[in-house]
Amino acid sequence: MKSLYLPITVDHIARVEGKGGVEIIVGDEGVKEVKLNIIEGPRFFEAITVGKKLDEALAVYPRICSFCSAAHKLTAVEAAEKAIGFEPREEIQALREVLYIGDMIESHALHLYLLVLPDYLGYSNPLKMVDEYKKEIGIALDLKNLGSWMMDELGARAIHQENVVLGGFGKLPGRATLEKMKRRLQEALPKAEYTFELFSKLEQYEEVEGPIIHMAVKPRDDVYGIYGDAISVSDGFEFPSEDYKKHMVERVVEHSFAKHSFYNDEKPFMTGAISRVVNHADKLYGRAKELYESHKDLLRSTNPFANNLAQALELVYFTERAIDLIDEALAKWSIRPRDEVEIRDGFGVSTTEAPRGILVYALEVKDGRVAYADIITPTAFNLAMMEVHVRMMAEKHYNDDPERLKYLAEMVVRAYDPCISCSVHVARL
Amino acid sequence: MEKKVRIGFYALTSCYGCQLQLAMMDELLQLLPHAEIVCWFMVERDSYEDEPVDIAFIEGSVSTEEEIELVKKIRENAKIVVAVGSCAVHGGVQSWEKDKSLEELWKTVYGDGKVKFEPKMAEPVENYIKVDYRIYGCPPEKKDFLYAIGTFLVGSWPEDIDYPVCVECRLKGHPCILIEKGEPCLGPITRAGCDARCPGFGVACIGCRGAIGYDVAWFDSLAKTFKEKGLTKEEILERMKMFNAHNPKLEEMVEKIFQGVEE
Ligand code: SF4
Ligand code: SF4
Ligand code: SF4
Repeated sequence: MKSLYLPITVDHIARVEGKGGVEIIVGDEGVKEVKLNIIEGPRFFEAITVGKKLDEALAVYPRICSFCSAAHKLTAVEAAEKAIGFEPREEIQALREVLYIGDMIESHALHLYLLVLPDYLGYSNPLKMVDEYKKEIGIALDLKNLGSWMMDELGARAIHQENVVLGGFGKLPGRATLEKMKRRLQEALPKAEYTFELFSKLEQYEEVEGPIIHMAVKPRDDVYGIYGDAISVSDGFEFPSEDYKKHMVERVVEHSFAKHSFYNDEKPFMTGAISRVVNHADKLYGRAKELYESHKDLLRSTNPFANNLAQALELVYFTERAIDLIDEALAKWSIRPRDEVEIRDGFGVSTTEAPRGILVYALEVKDGRVAYADIITPTAFNLAMMEVHVRMMAEKHYNDDPERLKYLAEMVVRAYDPCISCSVHVARL
Repeated sequence: MEKKVRIGFYALTSCYGCQLQLAMMDELLQLLPHAEIVCWFMVERDSYEDEPVDIAFIEGSVSTEEEIELVKKIRENAKIVVAVGSCAVHGGVQSWEKDKSLEELWKTVYGDGKVKFEPKMAEPVENYIKVDYRIYGCPPEKKDFLYAIGTFLVGSWPEDIDYPVCVECRLKGHPCILIEKGEPCLGPITRAGCDARCPGFGVACIGCRGAIGYDVAWFDSLAKTFKEKGLTKEEILERMKMFNAHNPKLEEMVEKIFQGVEE
């Protein structure tokens, strides 16, 4: 006999970044309610940086989230530079993207191997896999180390990169370091491909199959990448980044310190690696393009678990892309790390693709200080959609052993690679 | 068989960077045979927040009513409590606007929206429980973790650093950003241990390791230098407060410089 009211809760979802829980309430007629409780405390980043000097605010923003600190830093700096009317030189822009890719490589490697894979292999903790899965753990560490090292060289540190400043960098790595970076990226390619092979064999959980609206930043120059000035929607609609508020509407929900977002006011949507692939696969090139063509059915738009494989595909793509960007920077090489900036008044919006999806920074600068700040993170965008998918999973499994349901619910959440702490710390009405 | 050290890593409100820094250390694999992870939600699904541990690492600032209860519980269960990182030790960057009210901050971000949890102003862990040791930084350096964990494992006690970033900066031979470029570098008041990381990249220190303890952070002398370079009192306070908002001496010492008192 089933009880009338059965809350199944995971108080603290493990192996994600930040504190959140899942609450599934089952009644007589099945699943009544599904909530993602985001219990991480608020840090009020927008409120505490308004009124502060621009450079100091820019040092604080990356502290929203460690997994994506380079993403936060670079997006904030771009918004600030747009606001003051400054455009970085091409080689600086290329190297900033290489730094961003360092974050992407590290983040995807950590997510796939340390957070996701243990579920599939039946481990509660990735460190326990060391003996049995030497090769996989070795690859995870190599890719992670490559990403961190790229961030060390270009950002001064793998977490909270102080080396990115208005106008460029504090200091540039030398040519020899960039050549070495290229070599290490080349050596990493087979490891990225191995990762793709490995993840292409994992279960997709048909229970959560269904149409999904995907949003992604439309890459600049028509090449699959991180920076862009418009947002594309999988239904064919496209809008300039400045209009993000019109089409990605936020609402406070009472069970979460993080707000939920909706497309055109009502529809939950997804953003992240799979959304980038769904919306912009035609802009891929190289080996990643081939892998995409041969695995299209797995990289489908209708299943959130495809996000894992999409991240693996991106490991291949961004590794190749970083090599090209380094070549581009070396071709235009000058040792000048930064240009003079004049801090004028203005307003700037930057939208970039963080490892987990669209990251928005809107900054207004007045008298050298931040006059207005609006920051929306990928996980905040994804929360509403995540709830939909956890519900779909729960509807199929509420009669199972509650432990099993918890496990599956956590796996759905993990497939999104949520960054719970960043979803909380920002976003305003 | 050797008895394993039971460790817990607990997160309060933070960016998760201190844990990430630890999780990313390849050296962790060598440590593991000697340790049992009782609680560490970021890597271990079977984590238990209520179990006794030998060493409790706490990351993040106390920012909700629930977190006050949590730190008390951790203290009861742990032999050694280590506050990790600027959030846990100093309240973190989220304490930057310590002087604004919670209502004001809440309104700016959430408007009239309500949630069912109880937020509060961010505070260092030490405001609620006794902390035995601190690992500084935002995030800490890897060697900080190695040193602390290593000394615990041999049954010893790590030493605090009581000299500023400038010492390391001079030893490394970096050009001085404060003197040569006139930028507001916080190296002179900030606890060393990062090998003057930022000045090495030509960027002024923002003080992420927090002010040097033992009353050797000379906020006043540095404030005087900044004042001579044309910074206002507010600008000096703002910069020094990024990672030191809860420091009891800071305001008083900076204030002194603007009252015309000669040292
Ligand atoms: S101290 Fe810094 S790195 Fe550590 S959790 Fe806090 S904000 Fe993140
Ligand atoms: S650059 Fe900063 S840390 Fe280095 S000596 Fe000058 S003031 Fe000190
Ligand atoms: S130089 Fe200053 S800001 Fe940079 S890591 Fe060291 S203490 Fe932190």
